[in-house]
Amino acid sequence: MNRFTLSVSAAIARVTESALGPYQSAMIRIGFSATWLLFLLREFIHRGELYGPDSPWGWELARQLIDTNGAFTLLLWSDGRGWFEAVYGLALLSSAALLVGWRTRTMSVLFMVGVLSLQNRSVFMGDGGDNVVHLMAIYLVFTRCGRVWSLDARRERRAAEARARGERVTDAVGPVLWGVLGFALVVLTATGGFHSAWTVPALLWAVWSCLGLWWVVGRRARSAEPRILLDVIGNILHNSALVVIMAEACLIYATAGWYKVQGSRWQDGTAVYYPLQLDYFSPWPLLGDLLTSSGTMVLLVTYGTVIVQVAFPFTLFNRRVKNVLLAVMMLEHAAIAVILGLPFFSLAMIATDAVFLPTSFLRRLGRWAARARARLFSREGRATVPEPRAPENPRPSHVGFEA
Amino acid sequence: MDAYDSGSDATQGAKAAQEPQAPPAPAVLPGMAVDSPATPVDSPAPGAPPGSPEPRTGVAALSPRYQIGAALALAVVAVAVCVHLGMVFLHVAPSNTVTKTHGEAIDDWIYPEFEQNWKLFAPNPLQQNIAVQVRAQIRTPDGSSRTTGWYDLSAQDGRDIDGNPVPSHTQQNELRRAWDFFTASHDSDNRAVGLRGTLSETYLRRIVVLRLERGGATGADGVVERVQVRSSSTNVDPPDWSTEKVSSQAVYRVLSWWSVLPGEAEGDVK
Repeated sequence: MNRFTLSVSAAIARVTESALGPYQSAMIRIGFSATWLLFLLREFIHRGELYGPDSPWGWELARQLIDTNGAFTLLLWSDGRGWFEAVYGLALLSSAALLVGWRTRTMSVLFMVGVLSLQNRSVFMGDGGDNVVHLMAIYLVFTRCGRVWSLDARRERRAAEARARGERVTDAVGPVLWGVLGFALVVLTATGGFHSAWTVPALLWAVWSCLGLWWVVGRRARSAEPRILLDVIGNILHNSALVVIMAEACLIYATAGWYKVQGSRWQDGTAVYYPLQLDYFSPWPLLGDLLTSSGTMVLLVTYGTVIVQVAFPFTLFNRRVKNVLLAVMMLEHAAIAVILGLPFFSLAMIATDAVFLPTSFLRRLGRWAARARARLFSREGRATVPEPRAPENPRPSHVGFEA
Repeated sequence: MDAYDSGSDATQGAKAAQEPQAPPAPAVLPGMAVDSPATPVDSPAPGAPPGSPEPRTGVAALSPRYQIGAALALAVVAVAVCVHLGMVFLHVAPSNTVTKTHGEAIDDWIYPEFEQNWKLFAPNPLQQNIAVQVRAQIRTPDGSSRTTGWYDLSAQDGRDIDGNPVPSHTQQNELRRAWDFFTASHDSDNRAVGLRGTLSETYLRRIVVLRLERGGATGADGVVERVQVRSSSTNVDPPDWSTEKVSSQAVYRVLSWWSVLPGEAEGDVK
């Protein structure tokens, strides 16, 4: 009993005192924002037909459907082209800002607003990839996903250094951004611009209020306790959101796997052959024919897919097996991107998988990226940037995922 | 194939009820350390590597009064997470005892923002190529009208996708999912079921008119007066190494002629 109490209190301490998985959360932040940004850039020439005034899914049709389900979109505020372009621009800019981790929390909210606005405006244009991005955009709002690999982290470091030198650090951008967004919230709420169920607007107001509260508490509170309490709550939300994201990934694989088990084509080992023969999913018909020319190969891939998908959630209990499966699934998604012509779906799934990557691997990835950047800059004529310090990797580096 | 569809067909009448991720206001205090307008002077550096020695953080650093607040927040969030995951699980699970009795509560929680469908190519992958084809009655300025042959719009999509490393949603999803939406909201006699049925008819009609005009089917100054849509389903040939035999005959589902509203024909599809 005593041991039980001890382990519970240890667990509580763990989830309240820090935001776990800083590298994993940064990885999914970068993964989903990059997926959506690339998608928006790719569809830039088609944006009017997908979500705008030129869409066969007209504004009036969208309004009638949303009247029945209450989905959130800013695009119902006006059917004008200018408003549409502004929202598309907001979606582009917020995903770029989230990618580099500039004002991460605020941008994660704007990112969610952009994703929901466009996708819910034309819900029949999307596929599974959009579905993943949709869910993750909501979950990301609750994470502290900018603590590493972000401009915020750099700003924080520089501010800390400046304070250590005794300088006064002021930040004007934050309050200005907060003021502008508050104004936008007031206008949209007052003019009925949300046109949706109350939940997402309430979330927007809640995050905005909390950002203000955080600022006030950090500046005015006489004791440190209110600030620590807010920090604790922030950690709780972050860690919970990570759990939800991981569970969501497991549900995706479990559903995909368990339903396949029931299918006759997955049982007789021919299932993988069929999608490659569909006009909509065969950008390289010759490649598809080549890959399915052997019945035994098709059988192996068919059974392998089912086994990996069904097994994945259970392998989380063993790091080694989990990492092997993770590599297999990322490779399979990369293959799907090319063979079935689903690059954005595959990117979204790879970003989802990334939440399970081991920390040691991600740190090494970060060092590689830093080194590559340093080399790039030195080639451009600057002095060589010294190797980034690597105190956090005392272990000898052997290949692959060892965490 | 609805393998990659988000299955929005089920949104019918569902209303969002509660925000699973947003527990009551006091609990929504995201850790704003990173982009707070001004970070408190001695806050634990968010950029610091995890595990760096930071004295007195977490609940241990709080007095009992604040600890109660933290415990409350933890309890609320924990409950919210459990409920949310339970709801999502029931939403993606097959119909069962619980979903049959509490389906409405689950739908209230899930729709509209947490809807999902992960039956990717399951239980069986689609084994037919379903092509949407259209023909039109065109009125020319001299008052006469002519009927075009059948245009295979899906085949056009297929050609656009061929050799394309990044197919657009306009090529891969637009028409394909519009047809899925149509079949899901119509009975076997092609009669519309509810609001979604009529919405899907308008949607499909606008897509085919848009494509006819884009493809130059109307000629120099013809106007599309009426359109007729049909689907053609052809079985995928079994693989060479299989002994299976399937019919390679196309099966058609032919809809009745639809009049095109004046606005639609001019591409004004607002």
